[in-house]
Amino acid sequence: MHISDGVLPIGVVIGSGIASLALAAWSVRRTDSEDLPKVAVVTASFFVTSLIHVPLGPTSVHLLIPGLVGILLGPSSFLAILLGLLLQSLLFQFGGLTALGANALMMGVPALLCGLLFNKLRGSTQKQHVIVGGLVGGGGTLLSAALLALLLFSGGEDFLGVAKLALVAHLPVFLIEGLISAFTISFLYRVKPELLNQRFSALQQG
Amino acid sequence: MVEGQIIQLPLVLLLAALLLLALLSLLAVKVLKSAFVGKQTAQKEPDWSVPVVDADAEGTSLFHRWDVRFKLVALLGFAFLVVATRSPEAAMIALLLSFSTVLVAQQPVYRSLKRLLAMSGFLGMFLLVMPLTVVTHPEDILLVFSGLEFLPFNLRGLQLALAIVGKACAVALLMEPLLATASLARTVEGLTRLGVPEKVAQMILLAHRYIFVFLEEARRMKTGMQVRGFKPRTSTETLQVMGNFLGMLFVRSFERTHRVYAAMQSRGYRGRFPAPFYFKVTAGDWLHAGVWLLLGIGLLVFDRLGAA
Repeated sequence: MHISDGVLPIGVVIGSGIASLALAAWSVRRTDSEDLPKVAVVTASFFVTSLIHVPLGPTSVHLLIPGLVGILLGPSSFLAILLGLLLQSLLFQFGGLTALGANALMMGVPALLCGLLFNKLRGSTQKQHVIVGGLVGGGGTLLSAALLALLLFSGGEDFLGVAKLALVAHLPVFLIEGLISAFTISFLYRVKPELLNQRFSALQQG
Repeated sequence: MVEGQIIQLPLVLLLAALLLLALLSLLAVKVLKSAFVGKQTAQKEPDWSVPVVDADAEGTSLFHRWDVRFKLVALLGFAFLVVATRSPEAAMIALLLSFSTVLVAQQPVYRSLKRLLAMSGFLGMFLLVMPLTVVTHPEDILLVFSGLEFLPFNLRGLQLALAIVGKACAVALLMEPLLATASLARTVEGLTRLGVPEKVAQMILLAHRYIFVFLEEARRMKTGMQVRGFKPRTSTETLQVMGNFLGMLFVRSFERTHRVYAAMQSRGYRGRFPAPFYFKVTAGDWLHAGVWLLLGIGLLVFDRLGAA
């Protein structure tokens, strides 16, 4: 779920915008220009994925995959998520123009953490990859939901009800995302394990 | 704990109001549906692999002639000033102003409506939840329906929600005039001249291309899955299939991009597309931008003074 324009108080809008800009600048510096097309690929895939709905009982939920983006891109993931959200807002009005900073923080910070954790813990066996991938993928979504609730709550105590609802609505999504991340990592491990290495350029030279 | 000014109402009134709302939304859905169906049969199956964000880039309206850099700064500034307001009245004025831009920029209204529809779920949640969950202040007016004493309906919550909806819609209506009145390449070039790094600009253009390619790819893969008898359900198997689907999408996308990038480099791509854009600033650009920023500031002043 994205925060739309007009929800957050102006102080939070500006603050999260500045924080997002700083993180994005750092992310750009950490991105090799060799890797740009690949970051663009994950950005576009992130965009497409968020249009995929998974049935859940009588309704359906759409995927967020901040964790997977982090696993695939590492430090560049913040940039990918910021641009993915920008394009979603430009093309489909998911999220908003002024709330872009807040939305990018909400998805991008978990992505960065997930990338870091996955790289530290993944080990070398498929089993460990899958378990860590699942936990990280689910955890990323959980953290996103927590940040969403926190941001909504920044509007004052009047927003407590909405924040709680947003958090509860994400609980089933967190399970689904964990499982899907695990399956995706398992697939990539078997089919194209080099995608799981975050530094592409180092890989090309080798 | 409830201490606001309570207005007792019979339950029948609530039922009548709900019925009226249901009828109205049913009518709205019907009208919108007929409008959309009319549009869709006119152009048959749309080709999803072709980007559409700047479909109406050719035109002669005030917004088409406006220098993109001024347009970006002025309308973004206006958007931030709009979200800084608090009262529903200011939000409604902003909504009217934004709607007028859609007309002045000669943009098809149904595309702007589509944008509003995309937000309806999120905003609907606010309209529904805020009146029931806001903290009760002594000066609040509460509607309490007999039989539902535990669920007071706070009018201040409704006001808050209406302000949010108004602001969100106002900014959303600015999007088409902001983006669709110049080609995306030109808008992005304007962004670079405003200081956005070249790398980021290239990424926007590349990702925007790839999105439509991948959407088409995902659609093809989905058709393949359906032909093989896949039906999504709430089950682990579905999730496994979706996981593999995502993995396959990543693998295919990477391989395709690898080939495309090699081809681009062999044709002389050095990290930027040649962009033969010529920018010329006129007094009208300054004037137009100034008007929008002043409108935004005026709105904010009205909002803060009116509230006091």
